[in-house]
Amino acid sequence: MTSLARSDYRLRSAAKAPAYGWLVVAVQELRDIWLSWRGPIIVFAFSLLLSLLTYLAATNKELNIIDQRDTVNMVVQITLGIGVAVSLLFGADTVSGERERETLESLLLTPVPRRQIGLGKLLAAVSVWPVLMLVAVPYVWTLKAGPGLFANAVVAGFVVGSLLTAAFASLGVIVSILSNSNRLSLAASFFVFVVLLAPTRIPLTGWFGDHIARINPVTAGSRFVDRVIVTNHSLGQEWTLLIAPVVAAVIALAVAFVVADRLRLQGGIDR
Amino acid sequence: MLAFYADSGKMEVNPGGDQTDTAAAVRSAKAEAVLRVDHVTKSFGPLEAVRDLSFEARPGEIIGLLGPNGAGKTTAIRVLSTILSPTRGRFTLGGIPHTKPGAIRQQIGVLPESAGYPLHQTGAEFLRYHARLFGHPARSAREIAASLLVEVGLAERGSSSIATYSRGMRQRLGVARALVNTPSVIFLDEPTLGLDPAGQRQMLALIRDVAGQRGATVILSTHFLDEVEEVCSRVIILNRGEAIAEGSVADIKRRAAPRTVRVHVPPEMHDEALSALTQAQGVARVDSIDKERGWLTATFDSAWLDEHGGVPINSAIRALIDVDVLILSFELEGGRLSDAFLSLTEEGRR
Repeated sequence: MTSLARSDYRLRSAAKAPAYGWLVVAVQELRDIWLSWRGPIIVFAFSLLLSLLTYLAATNKELNIIDQRDTVNMVVQITLGIGVAVSLLFGADTVSGERERETLESLLLTPVPRRQIGLGKLLAAVSVWPVLMLVAVPYVWTLKAGPGLFANAVVAGFVVGSLLTAAFASLGVIVSILSNSNRLSLAASFFVFVVLLAPTRIPLTGWFGDHIARINPVTAGSRFVDRVIVTNHSLGQEWTLLIAPVVAAVIALAVAFVVADRLRLQGGIDR
Repeated sequence: MLAFYADSGKMEVNPGGDQTDTAAAVRSAKAEAVLRVDHVTKSFGPLEAVRDLSFEARPGEIIGLLGPNGAGKTTAIRVLSTILSPTRGRFTLGGIPHTKPGAIRQQIGVLPESAGYPLHQTGAEFLRYHARLFGHPARSAREIAASLLVEVGLAERGSSSIATYSRGMRQRLGVARALVNTPSVIFLDEPTLGLDPAGQRQMLALIRDVAGQRGATVILSTHFLDEVEEVCSRVIILNRGEAIAEGSVADIKRRAAPRTVRVHVPPEMHDEALSALTQAQGVARVDSIDKERGWLTATFDSAWLDEHGGVPINSAIRALIDVDVLILSFELEGGRLSDAFLSLTEEGRR
């Protein structure tokens, strides 16, 4: 073993809290996601699924019984669902996963403020969404029924997806900060997602059903996309359906902002 | 080799030391305390994991934090490294109060007891990342990582993934990580746990270098008393969250100092030795061991020991020399750090 060199002492003594600690954390987390198998394999599986759907919709006349607008809607809705779910799970793994792998303590021992650590991890967790949306764009282009539909479908999908991804990735991060077990964090986050997703598969009619659909950010977002693509409404016509996703995103981000400041080695708020 | 212990003002035998250590100890004694811990308590509900802990540490000191399992060593380190906040009390590190944890973190390096590593990263990537987290620009972070890998003996494995590292290599990488910010205080929690003897020696040499060459204060938590005797200038013994003893290794040994000495003399001098020891100052009782001629034990009076600094060795040896008894061996029963440790903690009574 060589002895410690004094020559580098001055070089290292510049240690201070980094101005953009969140960026350093985010870049490392992005590397972990996209330079490992996790990100690429999700994108590959997703593009495989869309390829299959598009191929069937475009070529198989017997199976192609649904309207082209419905097919575009289906592609966007699938992209939304997978994008939100993956971001949620990545968010839910951020802190509790590090706790289980015993790498969190080293991170907490750095001068990077807790909120910046949380922000960096959140940004990495949502990174999968724009990538999936980008992958979906050529498929929407292939399936489009008219010139206006492509732009509306992409914009509606991107807006709703961004809001829901921000909300659910934040939820995942919050649960992850509070949970000691990664399994619990993933299960709890996914359970909330499924509970909110379930009404999209149920016909919500009448005054009560309509209000539930508007309050639930997932159903409201899904309805917005559906009406823009299938019913051919303009984006502005259905803006009220974006209220729930916006509120959900704002609340989840605000709570994540508060909870991240109380990020501790053990789960829970403060000890 | 002799070393000067500032707190006792005495020169003591320091088998693991050298002149550099002596000079460092003298420098350290003159320096201001870099870490001041003042009545720190950490509670988890009704349980006080650390109770009323107070001590000071100076630059270049290596302080051993000893204690049985559950004594509060790891909690104490986590409090002092700002991972946990103290329930009561306060501490300052480099003059920075504990209420500014972010500023303290810039001044410390920590090797946690259960340090995990991102196994898919290479050692160099890991160090670069942590250097960036401490505010170094990318280029500087690269240079720091390369330099630290050399210093901890991992230069040739820097581009290998951590998954391929042995336990010893990971521990050395952890020490390197703790050094990326040139800390003034380094906390090492069980750094040699699970290492083979060669790995332990490498780690101890590294710890000595960190304190000696960088002038950093090292707080070393360990179960291995040999390590403490070898590298530590001072020792704090924790038991059930409380510091039950503090001082130099020699002080601690003396504090639990034996009341009994074991003497071996030629069999034909047995009776003379028995008589001389019986009349020696402070001796309360002299016994022959197993009725074997030549082997004796002398037990000293506790009150006399307290009055005379608890060192019975001189009185007994002088008594034997005065009557020209040849001393074949002379041993303090319980004069090792492990004996002191066991007698000071409850393990000794189990």
